[in-house]
Amino acid sequence: MLRWLVRRLLLAVPVVWGVVTISFVLMHLSPGDPARTALGEKADAASVAALRHQWGLDKSLPLQYLDYLGQLVHGDLGQSLYYHSSITSLMWQRLPVTLVLIVFSAILAVLISVPLASRSTTKPNGAAALVVRLFNAVIQGSPTFFIGSMLILFLGVRVAIFPAGGYPSSLGSRAWALVLPALTIALSIVPLLVRGLRAAMIESYSSEYVTFARSKGLGTGPIRRRYVLRNAGISGVSILGIQVGALASGALVIEQVFAIPGMGSMLMTGILNRDYALVQACTLVFGLIVVVVYLVTDIVYARLDPRARLS
Amino acid sequence: MTRRKTLISAFAIVAAASMAACSSGSGGSGGAAGKPQSGGDLVMARADEATSLLPSVPTDNSAIWIIEEIYSTLVVPAQDGSGVQPSLATKWKQSADKLSWTFQLRKDAKFTDGRPVTSADVKFSIEQVQKKSSPFAFIDAVITKMDTPDAHTIVFHTAKPWAPLPADMALFANSIVPKDYGGKSAQEFAKHPIGSGPFKFDSWTKGSRLKIVKNTDYWQKGTPKLDSVTFNVVPDSNTRATQLSSGQIQINEYPSNSSIKTVSKTPGLKFSSFPSSEVDYLGMNGSRKPLNDVNVRKAIRLAIDKEGILKSVYYDRAKLAGPYLSPTTWAHNDAIKPTKFDLKAAKAALAKSSVPSGFTTTITISSGDQDASAEAQLIQSALAKIGIKLKIKSLDPSALYSAKGAGNYDMAFGLYTTDIVDPDEIARFGGTFSGGVHTLYTWFNSPTMNKLADKASSGSDQASRKKDYDQMQQIIDDNVPYIPLFYVPGNYSYSSKVHGFKPGATGNYFLEKVWLSK
Repeated sequence: MLRWLVRRLLLAVPVVWGVVTISFVLMHLSPGDPARTALGEKADAASVAALRHQWGLDKSLPLQYLDYLGQLVHGDLGQSLYYHSSITSLMWQRLPVTLVLIVFSAILAVLISVPLASRSTTKPNGAAALVVRLFNAVIQGSPTFFIGSMLILFLGVRVAIFPAGGYPSSLGSRAWALVLPALTIALSIVPLLVRGLRAAMIESYSSEYVTFARSKGLGTGPIRRRYVLRNAGISGVSILGIQVGALASGALVIEQVFAIPGMGSMLMTGILNRDYALVQACTLVFGLIVVVVYLVTDIVYARLDPRARLS
Repeated sequence: MTRRKTLISAFAIVAAASMAACSSGSGGSGGAAGKPQSGGDLVMARADEATSLLPSVPTDNSAIWIIEEIYSTLVVPAQDGSGVQPSLATKWKQSADKLSWTFQLRKDAKFTDGRPVTSADVKFSIEQVQKKSSPFAFIDAVITKMDTPDAHTIVFHTAKPWAPLPADMALFANSIVPKDYGGKSAQEFAKHPIGSGPFKFDSWTKGSRLKIVKNTDYWQKGTPKLDSVTFNVVPDSNTRATQLSSGQIQINEYPSNSSIKTVSKTPGLKFSSFPSSEVDYLGMNGSRKPLNDVNVRKAIRLAIDKEGILKSVYYDRAKLAGPYLSPTTWAHNDAIKPTKFDLKAAKAALAKSSVPSGFTTTITISSGDQDASAEAQLIQSALAKIGIKLKIKSLDPSALYSAKGAGNYDMAFGLYTTDIVDPDEIARFGGTFSGGVHTLYTWFNSPTMNKLADKASSGSDQASRKKDYDQMQQIIDDNVPYIPLFYVPGNYSYSSKVHGFKPGATGNYFLEKVWLSK
């Protein structure tokens, strides 16, 4: 287990390095000048040159790249050109918000998908199954920002249960304000989860151990809980793990719609203002999140399914 | 931040507002003024976050509009943009040789840490703006030396006679900070800024909200009325609109054009346009063929149906533009009228040009900007009628910026506003090759324009300065390096409980005059 973990972590290093390098190259190759963007079009060329020098942008690209890697190795994410502050301190403010949002939406996604999937498998061609399939099709066909706006409209304005976006300062109301955005992100992966779970459950229902349990006289409820869901859950976990990337990119869009000060809105600002270091740092952190989640998924998978050993 | 205005979001807005109309119905005072009340917390929603509260750093409105509330300047722009009024300075005078300006400071102004505002603070503040890496260094470049004969007198020596100096001193960048930032580093100071304005910095949660509170020691007694103002960052325009309907916020800084109609119909909400110096224009790259031919540019100007664009893209919330200086400045030349849409004349102009039967060219727009995309399509179909084939290409805003700067484009939209109330800045920026960005990226270069701009800024008599500016506007109108399309007001939607909200032509909010009814 420990050896496996060390090997996996070592394998993650080239992945992270690749993410860093690609984002560095892409950002620096894309047209646009952070100094000009910061100073506005009225500032004269001398001012722009002075700022470029101050920010070290007049150095050659390989040199900037080496400087950047050196910084990273020392755990320094650099300075944000746009926010005029250290990126590490910005990360401490923004990252927890997005992490909470991603975890919250993952939980909601599971809470929604499991009952839906099991409902639609008890009678695979019944009315409930049809409703679930229709729901899946509609949700999968709607872009997340649209679902978000609609949720704000119905649950934030018409029936004003939740605030219409925003991020209050008190903890209680903050958790409450996160329900709608988390639900929106969760809904974006619910169709995939339901379909995956449903297929796995149907397969499980037709397996010999279920037939055996039935003939032993067990009721539908215990069979579903103890045998079917448990086995189907294994594939659910791996779908959820793979979809964390989708959750993170969903958070990116949804944070804009709901005015949540997380990584997503910071990344957007960074891209539009050519804040190189900020975009690279955000990509790096998103990359790390995905790497870690895949790792955790593998561990959980192995715990659930003794056949998959960590070696 | 890109503001998406898709069909779907437009639909969402309409639905949101109609629902709010059904459910709220709280009424409101309907704009009746009444007696100003003290107290209350005003919440405004904006699209972007402020970059920095250090006056010498930002160029974004989100930061500028807060800086103007926290700090004081020597003088302030009049609300109608006609000139400047006393603020920290009570009197100012140009010397007889016109090479210096002397300002007398008021004695009762204090920073929020209790220290009095002195001429040494003024000198330090202006020196920060003069630093090379400051975006507005060009505004203060004319100041060669500053003298502080006593604590309440400051003398600015200028390289040449300089009429716009008082207007320059009303610029937000020239806000007065404590000398040496009160012993702190610039970065430390920016975290807890200290000024002498009507409001005091309270807290800033990056990415979310910035709060300022009433400065009880403000020298202008009896103001401000509000206890606090909170600026929330809400990037999505639909969300801002719904937050206004649900009462979460009182002012929406950037209502989308498509939401205006429903807002003005909703009880308890108001929509207002305030005169602003913004001019939206269509730029043409005069360093490229055949756009270097004035007849081609004239043909394009004649072929564009500005009124059609005004209706369908701007929802009638703008005025057709004539001369390049907006009506908010006294230098506006009202003898120059907007060019009338005339296809026949357009064809005739093109017939006189180097490409009588038309040509193919490209307009580059900012990606995600639905308004620009609609506008470009209208222009595309208009130009097709006179034989000009227009291709539409989109680039993200920062890349478009670079492409224009490098002259790597044919046609593109743009906008400009003035930062000071004197016409000098914008007359140069929009009219001279060296006074900005190659005459708005058109590469139009006229030595006469430079001479006129210099003459106007050294004169002290407004009537004779006006003549120079009139002539500058005439030259631009004759040569059509770019086409001023619309004079665009500042649009705000807000709760009817908000009173006294009247942003100036330079954008200043004057929040010390704003109050909330219960």
